[in-house]
Amino acid sequence: MKALFVNTATKKLIVSIVVDNEIKYLYNEENNNDLSVNLLLVIDEAFKVSKLKPENLDVIFVTVGPGSFTGVRLGLTVVKIMAWSKQIKVVPISSLELMASSDKDKKEVLALIDARRNYVFAGLYDSELNSIIDDCYILLDDLKEKIDNKDVWCVSDDVFTFAVNKPDYDIIKIINRHKDDVGVNPHELKPNYLKNTEAEEKLKGSR
Amino acid sequence: MDKYILAIESSCDETSVSIIKNGSEEIATVVLSQMDTHANYGGVVPEIASRMHIENITMVLEECLNKANMTMDDIDMIAVTYGPGLIGSLLIGVMTAKTLAYVYNKPLIPVHHIAGHIYANNLVKKMEFPLMALVVSGGHTELVYMSKHYSFEVIGATLDDAVGEAYDKVARVIGLPYPGGPNIDKLAREGKDTYDLPLPLDDSSFNFSFSGLKSAVINLVHNEKQRGNEIRKADLARSFEERVVEILSKKTMAAVRQYKVKNLIVAGGVSANRWLRDRLAELCEENNINLIIPEMKYCTDNAAMIGAAGYFAYEHGKVADLALNAKANDLLS
Repeated sequence: MKALFVNTATKKLIVSIVVDNEIKYLYNEENNNDLSVNLLLVIDEAFKVSKLKPENLDVIFVTVGPGSFTGVRLGLTVVKIMAWSKQIKVVPISSLELMASSDKDKKEVLALIDARRNYVFAGLYDSELNSIIDDCYILLDDLKEKIDNKDVWCVSDDVFTFAVNKPDYDIIKIINRHKDDVGVNPHELKPNYLKNTEAEEKLKGSR
Repeated sequence: MDKYILAIESSCDETSVSIIKNGSEEIATVVLSQMDTHANYGGVVPEIASRMHIENITMVLEECLNKANMTMDDIDMIAVTYGPGLIGSLLIGVMTAKTLAYVYNKPLIPVHHIAGHIYANNLVKKMEFPLMALVVSGGHTELVYMSKHYSFEVIGATLDDAVGEAYDKVARVIGLPYPGGPNIDKLAREGKDTYDLPLPLDDSSFNFSFSGLKSAVINLVHNEKQRGNEIRKADLARSFEERVVEILSKKTMAAVRQYKVKNLIVAGGVSANRWLRDRLAELCEENNINLIIPEMKYCTDNAAMIGAAGYFAYEHGKVADLALNAKANDLLS
């Protein structure tokens, strides 16, 4: 199976080409606000290094959020167009699940993204990446209540008042977990923001 | 050999894809407007616009190819609006164009949004040079001198609000729904020019300013309300529109004279304004100037105009690589 993996939803830009469980190319770097310039250059390099072309792919795995709204759209636009153009199967993946793949010692992993104003995007996963608490947009205090002193291993790229571990994404684990997913029609591939825009919230409130 | 350009425009709240032959012939265009959604908010909400662009882009692409009865293999190059505009919206178009150019190995042509508006005219009639272009829209008010194809000299621009922006704000004050331009235009026909409003930035430059006129309307409405007087909405719409059209046509004709051009083109959403069209037609006839105004469908944002401009951009060596970025602000040059 020839797979392209793309993540632009978190603070790391990840582009990887995996052929039959072997990583042929991996870009995993801090994303420095130049994602719109870099993304296709990195993807081009990925194909060149792997001696593949987009049409050779069997599947594209892409994170659809939650995370940076603009970031996730950049990656998704590229994947959407590539999948649509060459009729490649595309499998959407939660960015929180990707973070939770960092687990090394079979604990439950709580993946967190700072969503500002004391809110977080959060998802709790077990070591097999089964969801225990669905990805959500939640007040940090409410989340603490929900977790209820459970022994969880916390991963995040952001800084909180409590200790968190830096994620160490395991792309092979994610791919194996999702390799049999049916995928989505590229027309229907869209970000999972988990949060309405402020304008939508305001309008709802005023009605 | 014939050249087919696939063009993409997403700088504001329209997702549009078009296929244009040789910079002058429209093969197919699809425009998906988000106007009805943004009308709920009284104006374009950038984050919502971006969200709608990404949801619709492949469907608009596919529909355009189907309409043209063509496949991507029939396309020679990809053109895209890279700016100016809403950054989140622009990025969807730019990333789409870059990916298509990459996957299909076609040249990628970056097009300035205003160049697109000007080149919409080439879809109506082959442009003749030298010419003066008046670009008037929700985001732009500019006078552009062109001595030849793809040579732009911006000789005047708005110092504050774009004309369409002023229309929208004044419409809100008068209590008309979004979008303000067409609604003011419609109401103004029923009114008389009875309100004392200033002619904005009536100087010898080719620049415009509409914030003062807009403030004058706001103050007038406020003062009349305080005095307990009812606003004659149609008259106020008419008075406002008379000032706008007067200053636009006065400075445009001054530019035409100073630059000694025989051709005037009008472009952008506000060129749909009946009053402005009629006034310029009258002045151009008096002064023996050849006036071109695009059809209504080319006045608002669309990818057909980007495809027309893209052809000439390519002829002038404007080709981008995969590092092309979107720019929220960028001067036409």
